[in-house]
Amino acid sequence: MVKPIQNIVIVGGGTAGWLTAGVIAARHRGRIEKGTFSVTLIESPNVPIIGVGEGTWPTLRTTLEKMGVSETDLFRHCDAAFKQGARFARWTTGAENDGYYHPLMLPQGFTQVNLVPHWLEDEQGRSFCDTVTPQGALCDEGLAPKTITTPEYQAVANYAYHLDAGKFAPFIQKHCTMKLGVRHVLADVQTVNMAENGDIKSLTTEQAGEISGDLFVDCTGFRSMLLGKALGVGFKDCNDVLFCDTAMAMQVPYETPESPMASHTISTAHSAGWTWDIGLPTRRGVGYVYSSNHISDDQAEAELRLYIGPQAKGLTPRKIPIRGGHRETFWKNNCVAVGLASGFLEPLESSAIVLVELAAKLIAEQMPANRGVMDIVAARFNDVNHYRWGRIIDFLKLHYVLTKRPEKFWQDNTDPASVPDRLKNLLHLWKYQPPWFFDEFDRIEEVFPAASYQYVLYGMGFKTDVAPGDNNGTHSMAVSYMNENAAMTRKLRTQLPKNRELVKKIHEYGLQPI
Amino acid sequence: MTNVALLNNHDHRALRVQAGASARYGDNQRFVAVILGEFPHLVAHYPILLTKDQNTGAFFAGAMLGFDEGENLFLDERGMETYRPLNLQRGPFFTAGTEVAIDLDSPRVAAGGKPLFTEQGEPTQYLQSIMALFRDLKPGLEMTKTFVESLVGLKLVEPIDIDLAFDDGSKRKLTGLYTVNQQVLSALPDATVVDLFRKGYLQLIYLMMASLKQVPVLARRKNDALLKPSAQLAGA
Repeated sequence: MVKPIQNIVIVGGGTAGWLTAGVIAARHRGRIEKGTFSVTLIESPNVPIIGVGEGTWPTLRTTLEKMGVSETDLFRHCDAAFKQGARFARWTTGAENDGYYHPLMLPQGFTQVNLVPHWLEDEQGRSFCDTVTPQGALCDEGLAPKTITTPEYQAVANYAYHLDAGKFAPFIQKHCTMKLGVRHVLADVQTVNMAENGDIKSLTTEQAGEISGDLFVDCTGFRSMLLGKALGVGFKDCNDVLFCDTAMAMQVPYETPESPMASHTISTAHSAGWTWDIGLPTRRGVGYVYSSNHISDDQAEAELRLYIGPQAKGLTPRKIPIRGGHRETFWKNNCVAVGLASGFLEPLESSAIVLVELAAKLIAEQMPANRGVMDIVAARFNDVNHYRWGRIIDFLKLHYVLTKRPEKFWQDNTDPASVPDRLKNLLHLWKYQPPWFFDEFDRIEEVFPAASYQYVLYGMGFKTDVAPGDNNGTHSMAVSYMNENAAMTRKLRTQLPKNRELVKKIHEYGLQPI
Repeated sequence: MTNVALLNNHDHRALRVQAGASARYGDNQRFVAVILGEFPHLVAHYPILLTKDQNTGAFFAGAMLGFDEGENLFLDERGMETYRPLNLQRGPFFTAGTEVAIDLDSPRVAAGGKPLFTEQGEPTQYLQSIMALFRDLKPGLEMTKTFVESLVGLKLVEPIDIDLAFDDGSKRKLTGLYTVNQQVLSALPDATVVDLFRKGYLQLIYLMMASLKQVPVLARRKNDALLKPSAQLAGA
């Protein structure tokens, strides 16, 4: 008889572990209540959590809502604030006024008409972003993406969160153990016990004895204790494409508790990398991600301090090594890796948590009924994840290849040898036709849809040939969407409160569930 | 602007207050917050709905008196013949702790109105009626808040969109209004239903649902007002 898959064992109590536990437990709640399914999370009482990622994707709203988490609680317990995308400053020329948005809203009428060629023909001199979505204007003014009367998880303008990753994992943990029936075991894994077929049979722990399971999820971070170490799956570096290998982070206090709080991530290019600047209600998280081959730590720290200004005085940066890349396989035998254990990429587009969500969801939705069908699901999972990681690497690289900055780091980035073939082909193609719906970004859960490529390409001044008159067929439709966008922008600017103001109100009054 | 003072028979001995319903004095409201004790009076005339406080996002119960901003379809030159919600009746008065306060800048504070104190400094019958009103209104607001929170907690609240087309060709789309979801109510577990019944909530819920029948009645009133030439909106 084939062995049914009933007991899921997750190792690692960071963001990846608890989110995965929550997603799986919420999806299989009925079976857990009947007692025919269990989710156990083993967390070492001795290993500190890395707490990666203060930036998230809008997907997190759905993920948390499905788990039954209250959004009001998220704001109150995780120091959360709204994020409406990112602004990339000085990435193209390095000039003071050089910048563009990658917002979270799709261009108006995205499924109906591609506005890119119409914008290219348009001679009003507006940025692509401002022509097709109100979100850049909302970010310019530090406005929230909703109001206090908008229900939990619903948006007026699409949004994600900035949050304190150190508070997020314990917050999700509490929900998982109190509401979703996840078993929490505090213990150090000593040995991974293998079966003859190469599966993991059980784990021997120091404090809790032997724990057996049918499916093991490796959320042990960079160590990748199960998939990497026990099952010997190798790591595939991507430092030939993405050069940054170090981050230096600081937590910067606001000048006053009432200082404006940006409702987007500010990503600013420097001589050998870029800084993130994330506004939480209590502090800013700022960090320099750089290539140690192009700049020394001391120089990097000097640039970081220069960027932050007087507020950096007296602060000590925390240095974090970055190893960009991913496991050669993500699911092998009865072991699947999620989070840092599966790989890591520089946080340029906040891909860490969204990758956890997508992986956890796929595992939860495709939970194999028994060991006999697990390999089929595993193959599918690996296929999807190879695709995802590849596309994210391409998309991150896109931010670098279009630069005109003169520094060596940036020039090295434009070297064709460092550009993946697929991206190279697309860039060639897009010289003659702008990306849109019918491009090959056709997966149901595409991390970066064609719209994201549009925002980056045309934000950075990419040239696509459009002959006058070629688009007359859709001209009136395009004009009406552009006008609609201008009207919507005017309306939202008067209706939406400031980001900080709304977050304060949520702390005080809460958001309604409907 | 408001200029609120605690009411006393020294400073305010000679004050007079216009008590009647009139647009000039602020009865021209399309949606007025109400308390549970008023539901039986309200259901005979108005839809009882929930909406959100624009400042806090919190739900509160109210009576719908009109469709457009500043429109009370029950108000005419003679005042309001139907039940007048307490929040309109209270006029320029508020409570501050256990005391009564008054907005001295309210247009209601005017010559020709009703006196508040006798020459001896005793509260007049009118002021006594206001004090009695607050004895209902103040705890009533708390009880109503608890009731509304229970509805939200039980997921009984659902948005209701009201689309209206009038004979003059104009249309109204009202959003931001909420009522009780009948299906969720029917599916509640027995213990919860008994609990709602014992608290007196079940009856209130049914009054809210029944009051929805007042929406078309209200719309007819509006339609008549729109078609009536010159005699434009009531009380204006």
